[in-house]
Amino acid sequence: MSDDKYRIMLSGYIDNELTPEEKLEFEQHLKDCRECQKELEAFHKLREVTGAMKYADIPEYVWENYWTGLYRRLERGFGWIFLSIGIIILLAIGVYHLFQGFFLDPGQSILLKVGIGCGAVGFIVLLVSVIRERIFACRRDRYDEVQR
Amino acid sequence: MKEKSASDSELMTLIQKGEQSAMKELVEKYKMKAYYLALGMVGNKDEAFDISQEAFIRVYRSAKKYSPDQRFFPWFYSIIVNLCKDCLKRREKWDSRQVDIDENEFLTVVESNPESKMIMKEQTRNLRRALMALDFSDREIIMLKHFRDLPYDEIAVMLKIPRGTVMSRLYYARKKLAKLMSDYE
Repeated sequence: MSDDKYRIMLSGYIDNELTPEEKLEFEQHLKDCRECQKELEAFHKLREVTGAMKYADIPEYVWENYWTGLYRRLERGFGWIFLSIGIIILLAIGVYHLFQGFFLDPGQSILLKVGIGCGAVGFIVLLVSVIRERIFACRRDRYDEVQR
Repeated sequence: MKEKSASDSELMTLIQKGEQSAMKELVEKYKMKAYYLALGMVGNKDEAFDISQEAFIRVYRSAKKYSPDQRFFPWFYSIIVNLCKDCLKRREKWDSRQVDIDENEFLTVVESNPESKMIMKEQTRNLRRALMALDFSDREIIMLKHFRDLPYDEIAVMLKIPRGTVMSRLYYARKKLAKLMSDYE
């Protein structure tokens, strides 16, 4: 077996994830391999350091109100969807009324009317989407007062 | 007699039918896990909290796509990972928004003895810096083993990689972390 293979086994050894045969084989190798001994020592130290630490807790009341906050976010999400659809429909109607003369003119080709109609609806959808994105970005930007 | 709690796939089936109480039960069960996983990956408490909530929103919205045959947690975990990656990409975009690791103490010392705590403080700072300097995939596997203490088989399922790859990825990630730690000392 190559040295690389034994080095990789090092992780399994300190995590107690080797089979009894692999463990025995690795321990035999360890007796004569200075490199593996050094790495094992470094990994043990690492485990010691990480074992003495834990992720920072957040206050209990935050956990208690977690569901309420999440439920509000869910509700707002649906609200945003309906608001966006509403605005898109209203703007589309507005554009139609603004160019009613053009759309009702029998002299204009249907293809041109469809093309301009689709372009206008696409533009409105993109506009609403960009405005929504800007609003979300501003709301989430906790660094907006930082000078760039 | 204590009521038997529903399994994850039973809860997901109820969520698919629009049962809000099932969603609440799922959230209560996994909220802390989601938060601490995200915290380990993004290293910022506010962002981790936001990601954990967004992950549940995505579960709710894409509940119909969930098949009761699949295990819930690996599916949920992949949602969290994607959100964390998006968050880190957004952060990279704006250099000035880089999180100040010292101010955002996402890791703390377990030790209650004030004297030992002081000694460990510098080590904690170095570990925080070293963890955030690692690649995402290295940090992810270190976090799953060292801070969640998951067995290799479970890590393999979550990361969708063979068990042997878990061992080799852990080896290289630990090697990099140990090197960074010694550089900071």
